[in-house]
Amino acid sequence: MNETNDRNNTNDRNDKNDRNDKNGTIEIRFLTEFQNLNNVMDAKASFERDHPGVRIAIEQATDHYESMQAFKSDEAPDIIESGGWALYNYKGMFVDLLPYVDEVPGLREDLNPGVMRVACKDGHLPGLPVDVALPLIVYNKEIFDRAGLAYPTEDWTWDEMIELAKKLTVRGDNGVARQFGFGLGVDIEEFEPFVMRNGGRYLSPNGASARGHVDQPAVIEAFRMLVDAYRLHRVIRNPGEPSEAGDLHQGFAMVFGFAWFVGNLVHHGLGDKFGVVGLPNMPGGERSNMIYMGAAGITTKSRHPRLAWEFLRHYVLERPEPFRSPWTLPIARSLAERSGLTKHPLWSRFLQELDHVRISGFYISEKWNTSRQLVNEDIRRMILEGADVAQTLRSWTRFA
Amino acid sequence: MEIHEQSSAGRGLEHREADEARELAERAQLGDTEAFGELIERHRNRAKDWAERITGDPHLADDIVQDALVRAFLHIGSLQDASRFLPWLHRIVRNQANMRLRRGGPYKKEKPFASFGPSNADPDRVEWDDLDSVLRHLTRSAADAALSGQDPAEHLLRKELYETIRSVLHVLSRKERSIFEAYFFKQLSPDEIASMYRMTTGSIYTYIHRSRQKLKQERIRVSLGLSPEKGGSAMVGSKVLKLPEHPPHARSMTTFVDRVGQLLAALGDPRETAELMGVSGFAFRMQISDKATYADGIYMFDWRQTLRTFLGELGYGATMLCGQLAESPVPLLGAVERFPVVLPIEEAVLPFIRRTIDAGKPVLYFDTSASRPYVHEWSLIYGYDDERRLVHLTDAMKPEGKTLSYDDVAENPVRFLAAVEGGREPAVGPPGAVWEEASRRNAAARALRFAADYARNARAYCPMTSYLSYTSGLAAYDRWIGHLRRGPGSPPNRYGMGQLAAVYAEAKRYAAGYLRAVPFEGEAMRLALLAAEAYEQAGEAIGEIASEVPFVRTAEAMAPELCERCAARLEKARNFEAAAVEYVEKSLTLMEKGISP
Repeated sequence: MNETNDRNNTNDRNDKNDRNDKNGTIEIRFLTEFQNLNNVMDAKASFERDHPGVRIAIEQATDHYESMQAFKSDEAPDIIESGGWALYNYKGMFVDLLPYVDEVPGLREDLNPGVMRVACKDGHLPGLPVDVALPLIVYNKEIFDRAGLAYPTEDWTWDEMIELAKKLTVRGDNGVARQFGFGLGVDIEEFEPFVMRNGGRYLSPNGASARGHVDQPAVIEAFRMLVDAYRLHRVIRNPGEPSEAGDLHQGFAMVFGFAWFVGNLVHHGLGDKFGVVGLPNMPGGERSNMIYMGAAGITTKSRHPRLAWEFLRHYVLERPEPFRSPWTLPIARSLAERSGLTKHPLWSRFLQELDHVRISGFYISEKWNTSRQLVNEDIRRMILEGADVAQTLRSWTRFA
Repeated sequence: MEIHEQSSAGRGLEHREADEARELAERAQLGDTEAFGELIERHRNRAKDWAERITGDPHLADDIVQDALVRAFLHIGSLQDASRFLPWLHRIVRNQANMRLRRGGPYKKEKPFASFGPSNADPDRVEWDDLDSVLRHLTRSAADAALSGQDPAEHLLRKELYETIRSVLHVLSRKERSIFEAYFFKQLSPDEIASMYRMTTGSIYTYIHRSRQKLKQERIRVSLGLSPEKGGSAMVGSKVLKLPEHPPHARSMTTFVDRVGQLLAALGDPRETAELMGVSGFAFRMQISDKATYADGIYMFDWRQTLRTFLGELGYGATMLCGQLAESPVPLLGAVERFPVVLPIEEAVLPFIRRTIDAGKPVLYFDTSASRPYVHEWSLIYGYDDERRLVHLTDAMKPEGKTLSYDDVAENPVRFLAAVEGGREPAVGPPGAVWEEASRRNAAARALRFAADYARNARAYCPMTSYLSYTSGLAAYDRWIGHLRRGPGSPPNRYGMGQLAAVYAEAKRYAAGYLRAVPFEGEAMRLALLAAEAYEQAGEAIGEIASEVPFVRTAEAMAPELCERCAARLEKARNFEAAAVEYVEKSLTLMEKGISP
């Protein structure tokens, strides 16, 4: 409590100092790692219109490294927006936004609890989540109709999904698939929701260790099922496998699709051809899913934290426009309502799933995150060369 | 058929395993403890199988493996052929197992490896289960070997490593020593160490941190050779190499090539920059991020493979140390994503630097603290000073060079150091002989084949990281133009634009220079000259962008009119380069007809 008061007092003091800035104009420097600036440029325009004497200066950074260098410099930005969570784990880099959130009546309740569960660490909120997405199974209704198969339902199991995928994988005489039953990338992160749903976790809750977690039976079982889907059942395109199935929206009956995949479908007028359903139930019986998100946070070096918060709030929480035809999900329930997503046949299911999201290994261990492609090389070995799953997973204990 | 395929795949797997083991063993020999940790991790189970087969006792097998791995770590410098790591490890395991069996099974008063008893009173007697004793013995052996002239540099290097480890252990309290040892040698996670010592993970971190702080504060490593009981000052060294003049007109903004050129010049083998740009392929490369006009595409290639191929073309080999740190954000993820994750310990890098510089060679180093407007660049480390704990290195923006502390080098989030090995093959036969001319022609044909293939390949480098993608070759122009024409709502990245324009304008000019000097004849040469002219024009068009959007660190936005002017110039450059590539292809066709029987 004292800490919060102190922080607010500091913020107020800083903002009073701000008023002495050059010619009465205050500049808020906003550094973003996103390439597409349309959204933030729109927010800048409307914010500057409502706040004469304030200028939002937008800068870009190529990656987390450049953002960190900018923070360490003598000219640190007020706000850093990053496509990922790595920066928000650094102690002392961002101010806690919860005191600001709590100043706005009803805001805490309006923020999606699933998103907040993942975003808050040690009772602090280092940034407002942006670029929020999670995966569901997106199925191609036309492909199911052609095969005379019923669409999957929420109570389906992994085995049922594999059986469907087998029926929906079509290979030519040369063995090359014209259609795959399932589309899934070879990436440790994309495997994680299946592991979670089987009751497993890659890492300990504090991210300090993989030993005793990634090497446990629930993880091994989920991995064997995943690897079998590639290697044994061949219902997923194997790495390097020739294909005549086209892109994911063409010759794939079911796709492990993130929100942005659906955004693309809707954007190209294909939304009606697809349905979404939850990930299949695993033997472990846990209803969990991963969540991907970046954030925008106020740096501890900001000389204008209160004004920066005002802009952040405007940018992330007050504008329904970006979610009228979205690629990602809003973090406030009111925003979902105002943008019409709660009534959308595809997006409404994504919003429901936010209740079940859990924190991924990548958010809690930078070593695990950094080792991602070394892990992925091992997954390829399991799929293509039959490397022993249990032994390989045991060896990953060195990555955290 | 299936069986055949499986056995082929199995053989492929074995080959790859052997290759990887060799590479790791080579790194471990250079003092890279993380590489050794990786070797342990990969082969521990296999070693246990071997030991269990000999002894029939799984518990005894565990002890044998523990001993064998310690011995392997300490002796890896003596492994003559790194590709024989596995048979070598097998032999150590077998010897250890036989020794134990001869002694009638497990020691009766065996202490676990991590526990340290009082040191041995008899200095000549080695307790092989006591790391301190082993290190003392090996340090002495290495020093003796160095004195007797058996590969003194190698033995001194190893002596230094052992001394370092020993000195750490002596300075620390017993508990700190055990924890540090567990962390350093076994690469156990703090969680595991915590459970081993019944402490919290947080306090283990504190111990490790404190141990390392002690190491730094007391400058143990620096004072090693000066301590009275050891005598002499052999281990505190400094050496600064004199780099040859590197005049501005000979430089390249493609600093990877530029530094290799400077490095070769320091070895007495100066080359024309145009030749280096051509042979390396960088005169012909252009790669743009699919996201925006970020400049990271310049750096996206397989660093290890490219350096090996490049130096191979010039008659040299390379030894490299690679890694990425997990504790801080890593730049250029797409290029370094498969580097091993390493710890920020200087023992892993400093011996490599000392050894290379002591041999009179600068070290190619990726500097992530490059002076503005650069963020990171390749540089040359050309000196070290143990007393002041700093290295001397080049910086593109500081002709006088600069220094970095040992800590800075160890904590660089991207670890990439390379030493040039071998030397240029001496020419056999009289200069100008027919075969030499043919050899030069073949080399030029290879470079131009790369140029033509690269120009037609829109995906020359694909990182595994799914959200990173780059467009290369002629298609890169379209990607670049697309970024410039996204509209005022999403302007291009101004800073990246400046670097892209400067680097690629210069590269095209070097392409022209290289083509003018290729040893082709007749029509093939005429076409090469036409290609040179077209590259020159492409370079000029991009150079106009570079003049208007200079390479400076700035956050200013590009106005829509400026974006359009740049896009139009890029269209012009693309047309010239497309013509250049066609000339190159035609020239190559003629060359290949002439070269082929």
